Amino acid sequence: MDVVTHIGLTHYLVISAMLFAFGLFAVVTRKNAIVILMGVELMLNAANINFLAFSKYNGGMEGVMFSLFVIVLAAAEAAIALAIIINIYKTFNTVDVSSIDSMKE
Amino acid sequence: MHSFIQLSILVLLLPLLSFVLLIFFNRRLPRGGDFIGIGLLGATFSIAAYLFWQVVVVAYDPAFRIAWDFTWIDFGNVPGVGPLEIKMGIMIDNLTVIMLAMVTLISLLVHIYSTGYMHGETYYGRFFAYLGIFTFSMLGIVLSDNLFAIYIFWELVGLSSYLLIGFYFHKDSAADAQKKAFLTNRVGDIGMWLGILILYSQFHTFGYEEIFQHIKAGEFHMSQAWLTAAGILLFMGCVGKSAQFPLHVWLPDAMEGPTPVSALIHAATMVAAGVYFVGRIFPILTPDALMVIAFVGAFTAFMAATIAITQHDIKRVLAYSTVSQLGYMVLGLGVGAYSAGLFHLLTHAFFKACLFLGSGAIIHAMHHEQDMRWMGGLWKKMPWTFATFTIATLALAGLPLTSGFMSKDAILAGALGYAEVEGGGLFYLIPVLGFFSAMLTAFYMGRQIWLVFFGQSRTHLKPADPHHHDEHGHEGHHEVHEVAWNMRLPLVVLATLSVFAVYSPDPLDGAKGWFMHLVQTPQTAVLATTSHDAPAGDHAILHDPASPTVAGAHHAGAAGLLAEAEVHADVHHVTDAVHGADDAHHGPTFDDPRQAAIAHAAHANHYNAITYSTIMVASGITLALIFYVFGFISPEKTAQRIRPLYLYSFNKWYWDEIYNATFIRGSLLLARIFSWFDSNIIDGVVNGVGALVRRLGRMSGNIDRYIVDGAVNFTAFFVQSSGAILKKAQTGKVQTYVVMVLLAVTAYVIYYILQLQP
Repeated sequence: MDVVTHIGLTHYLVISAMLFAFGLFAVVTRKNAIVILMGVELMLNAANINFLAFSKYNGGMEGVMFSLFVIVLAAAEAAIALAIIINIYKTFNTVDVSSIDSMKE
Repeated sequence: MHSFIQLSILVLLLPLLSFVLLIFFNRRLPRGGDFIGIGLLGATFSIAAYLFWQVVVVAYDPAFRIAWDFTWIDFGNVPGVGPLEIKMGIMIDNLTVIMLAMVTLISLLVHIYSTGYMHGETYYGRFFAYLGIFTFSMLGIVLSDNLFAIYIFWELVGLSSYLLIGFYFHKDSAADAQKKAFLTNRVGDIGMWLGILILYSQFHTFGYEEIFQHIKAGEFHMSQAWLTAAGILLFMGCVGKSAQFPLHVWLPDAMEGPTPVSALIHAATMVAAGVYFVGRIFPILTPDALMVIAFVGAFTAFMAATIAITQHDIKRVLAYSTVSQLGYMVLGLGVGAYSAGLFHLLTHAFFKACLFLGSGAIIHAMHHEQDMRWMGGLWKKMPWTFATFTIATLALAGLPLTSGFMSKDAILAGALGYAEVEGGGLFYLIPVLGFFSAMLTAFYMGRQIWLVFFGQSRTHLKPADPHHHDEHGHEGHHEVHEVAWNMRLPLVVLATLSVFAVYSPDPLDGAKGWFMHLVQTPQTAVLATTSHDAPAGDHAILHDPASPTVAGAHHAGAAGLLAEAEVHADVHHVTDAVHGADDAHHGPTFDDPRQAAIAHAAHANHYNAITYSTIMVASGITLALIFYVFGFISPEKTAQRIRPLYLYSFNKWYWDEIYNATFIRGSLLLARIFSWFDSNIIDGVVNGVGALVRRLGRMSGNIDRYIVDGAVNFTAFFVQSSGAILKKAQTGKVQTYVVMVLLAVTAYVIYYILQLQP
């Protein structure tokens, strides 16, 4: 019953893992590049949850610091990714990643 | 350096200068540069004449001798040979000086004569150039003091002879004749070179004097037979150059050359070089070698004389006569009549040159007609030529009051003496052949004189030769005139030199003259004591001092003859005192009893020889008169009656045919065998190797093509096909890659987790 009554590290890790799985699922299956980007954000935030959870239960501040870095990185990443998507759209007239396969050649 | 040596070097080099100037510049000089040749030869002759005056007239010393040499090439110590040093040098003695004067005089006269005879020839200048190099080489032979140098000049005269025989090289017959002369001489020269090598192997020197001294000192360590072999091999050089049997065949063909050349080279000088050479090496010749030489000479003299009596071509008669006279000289040297043989060389040079130049004048005047059958009656039209030709003919036939008489009789006396000392029998063949040749000489020269100069002109009898008439259509009707002064002058000079007074005050005895006094038989270097090596037999016993019975008697006989000779000489001394002459008869006293005996016997036979030879010459002339002048016997009918003999003589004893059938056919057959061997065996081996290599190459090519290339191609194919498979993984779709990364990470994580479990 401890699992139900007492919120512990495992809960955070489960949530984080589920969140990562959802993000990964989105990245692998969605066709819209923007949705894929969103999946990536989900995976990053799953990682953040992990950092914060370990930070809280270990008693250090390194996890918090890392998650802040990851948020900054995610912002930068989002900006660059959106720019790339805009350029893809300009080039291919679509953001459907399944139809963009010219790298095959 | 003695001034005579310096002058003789000048004598040697001036004709060479003439050659160099003329061969390069004859086309740019006026008159083909003949004045250069004549001028330089004139200078040469003047120097030679000065030397002659100084040595022969002023010094008048039988022992006169100056030598000078220098090291030409020093090879150092050659492995297997020892120290090898080649010297060049000049030796001047009486014989050298006399030869110098003779060669330069005849060469000068021939130069002058050629300005007339060769006038208008295409290669006029070149002709004088060739005369220059010939004179140079001939003087080289005369002046050399060693065998090596003489061999070099020997080949050089061979070369100039080759060039001059083939002067009309556009004629096939001339080209063939020059090749024949060159190749025939080569046979003799090989022998000569081997002889030189035998002597060199023993003494390590080429110098005559050194070799003589070594032999005298008994340093010839091989058996006597080797010394004999060396002598005979050296004599082979003479056989080739002086046209002795069996290598005489080239000289008659050499008449294809211009007539002045025939006079200079093939009558007076070069062919006499062989005789001169035998004279130079005389001291090393063993009794056996001398015997061979004497027989070869006697046979040659007789054979050539028998051929000469039936030839039609005026020059061919003279050519065979030259062979015959050279045979006399060789005979003379062989029987030990050294000075007589060389004396005949000198006298023959002048009268035979005169005969050839005379025949050249006739040929010139007759517009290149050489066949005596179509001549006749020329004496009125060409009185100068007739007179000089007749004097020279008398000298050749050996009539008294001529030079030829003295020299020929001295040789025949030597031959009689030799036969007497050698013990008669077969040795009497030598003088007998000599006397018969004297008769034949008189006969064929009488025939020639008659056919050419007397009777009616037979020009019109010549069968028409359409080819000939095409070239010289109108010339048959030309008048025959005496030749110009430049052709007459040499004839007169040479005819003058054919008279006895030039050589001796006594027309019957050349031994009283200056030549026999100055050129005396050298002491033989072969000591009698060394002859015990000689092969056993009568001959060995004859020379064997250890055999008391025979040799003792022989030596006693020789000593007796020697004593008799001295008595004889004393008697002559008294009679000669009237002439104020030296005691020329006495001559040198010989250490070798055999030589002394021969010299004495030769002298004792002097008057016998004169008697016999005069009888033979007279009968020869009588025969010629009977056949040709009085016509008692028709030559044509006689020829018919003894047709086989006539044909045998007319076809030159068939020597050419015999050589053709044996040596030439043999060589050709050998060449064919070698050619077959070459094209089948040698080429077969080469082709076999080629085929083998080709097969190996093909095999190697296959290895390369299938194995090496196969490996390379397989690698490429493998890479290509694996690439084709792998490229399917590259879809270009980002999500596929993400899945792959995911799978890979998952796989790794699973692996990692499994690792953790022990």
